Amino acid sequence: MVKAGKNTVSNNSDMAELKSMFREVLPKQGPLFVEDITTMVLCKPKLLPLKSLTLEKLEKMHQAAQNTIHQQEMAEKDQRQITH
Amino acid sequence: MGSEMEPLLLAWSYFRRRKFQLCADLCTQMLEKSPYDQAAWILKARALTEMVYIDEIDVDQEGIAEMMLDENAIAQVPRPGTSLKLPGTNQTGGPSQAVRPITQAGRPITGFLRPSTQSGRPGTMEQAIRTPRTAYTARPITSSSGRFVRLGTASMLTSPDGPFINLSRLNLTKYSQKPKLAKALFEYIFHHENDVKTIHLEDVVLHLGIYPFLLRNKNHIEKNALDLAALSTEHSQYKDWWWKVQIGKCYYRLGMYREAEKQFKSALKQQEMVDTFLYLAKVYVSLDQPVTALNLFKQGLDKFPGEVTLLCGIARIYEEMNNMSSAAEYYKEVLKQDNTHVEAIACIGSNHFYSDQPEIALRFYRRLLQMGIYNGQLFNNLGLCCFYAQQYDMTLTSFERALSLAENEEEAADVWYNLGHVAVGIGDTSLAHQCFRLALVNNNNHAEAYNNLAVLEMRKGHVEQARALLQTASSLAPHMYEPHFNFATISDKIGDLQRSYVAAQKSEAAFPDHVDTQHLIKQLRQHFAML
Repeated sequence: MVKAGKNTVSNNSDMAELKSMFREVLPKQGPLFVEDITTMVLCKPKLLPLKSLTLEKLEKMHQAAQNTIHQQEMAEKDQRQITH
Repeated sequence: MGSEMEPLLLAWSYFRRRKFQLCADLCTQMLEKSPYDQAAWILKARALTEMVYIDEIDVDQEGIAEMMLDENAIAQVPRPGTSLKLPGTNQTGGPSQAVRPITQAGRPITGFLRPSTQSGRPGTMEQAIRTPRTAYTARPITSSSGRFVRLGTASMLTSPDGPFINLSRLNLTKYSQKPKLAKALFEYIFHHENDVKTIHLEDVVLHLGIYPFLLRNKNHIEKNALDLAALSTEHSQYKDWWWKVQIGKCYYRLGMYREAEKQFKSALKQQEMVDTFLYLAKVYVSLDQPVTALNLFKQGLDKFPGEVTLLCGIARIYEEMNNMSSAAEYYKEVLKQDNTHVEAIACIGSNHFYSDQPEIALRFYRRLLQMGIYNGQLFNNLGLCCFYAQQYDMTLTSFERALSLAENEEEAADVWYNLGHVAVGIGDTSLAHQCFRLALVNNNNHAEAYNNLAVLEMRKGHVEQARALLQTASSLAPHMYEPHFNFATISDKIGDLQRSYVAAQKSEAAFPDHVDTQHLIKQLRQHFAML
């Protein structure tokens, strides 16, 4: 990341002549000042990893298994409520 | 028509067409008529196995218990470049942390998720239990509980008359005399039965949270499989490499890596097989000896030149060791042999993206799309690549697809998070704000979104809100340097030098090479020296 810097360029010898008219100044020599401003950092964009076939299958089976268990539990609960 | 067919033939046909439930049901009917029909019995066992079959090479889910109580690593303080545990020590060729996000374990995020490499090991128990999204580690307590228990329970519930084969009543010696039957039976015990027998016990123990006991308890699980394999290999006078590999697999699941290594090596002496090389390498990875595993893979490549799985194994290990350039080289080698290898394409693509070449990454991801992969992750990646490659027309449509294809809230959160980046990129801060908020709505533990929201709040001049958000972010994901650094910057600005210094040090610990952090710390030290 390039820091947004502030460039201040000054050239003392030309200053007196240019005071009356406003023309652009493109100095060829002279000191160059760069001020580093610390900016806050964003977290970077995140590519999402693709899933391997095995992982997908595992997750699918896991999901199916959990659904079965859930259904079974619900059925048991219903039965219990009926008997009570 | 179907009713006139010979039932066994029909069952076979179902099996071949991978309609395993139908096949198993038909076999059950046949077995009710003639309980000693071996053909039907073996077919049913195979059908039930196939239903839950997962490639054992790929599966290596470490539970928290295995991870925290692991004493198999040879060196507790390994030298750099010889261990998978210290990923930061061997950073060569990869983009720095400032560009490529890292997981909780300090590895750059990967382009491809496999069950075995979901992330590295966290340092402490606390970290292991807490699972922030960046690490993708919703771990089971142990590998023998978690997923497999659930699968086992479900298969038990679906068969009302109890399990198909009552393992405790089985005379394993008798079966080991019949090699063909024994192999099917073994696979059934290993894959399907898994841990059905001990499941009740495990559940109880799980609640108590006694890990060592659980580990010991695992011995029961594979004991049947192991017994059968041992008897069979004896019956074949130790000449059958297949049984040796199976014994090795059992030992591996029991965590007896050295014994597993012996079996695999002995099997390799008899018959060199790609699978055996892969299993043996898996053992070495578990023993934290990546260099040995690499050598083994290279040996394997001498015997099987250009074998994709071996090449891919090498690439994975390099990636785990943070050696991105070598990993990319081997992934390219994989693509030379098999140009539809999803893992290689995805990894090379993400590598290009994070080394500032989104256009090339886009080509790789487009290739995946052409190959028929159609899921939220891929569209999210396409969207990001399009945006950074300045193909703005495709960006938003890709993200829309990604959102509609997201399978769960965490995925949607990540897509919203990335959309936030696009909004930041086009300078629409209010949209960005909304996107990051939506990411948080979907996943309240999204540390990156908290951090980025804080940056946006700070731009609006809301210092207190930004500080609160940053604190949340850094507590959710202490491994990221951004929230620490931002907190340090804010605190420095408002004159809270002490807090700034503490946060800056945390940031330095997370990312030692970060220049701005170093500057800040230097500045603060000067301030303190003046006091």
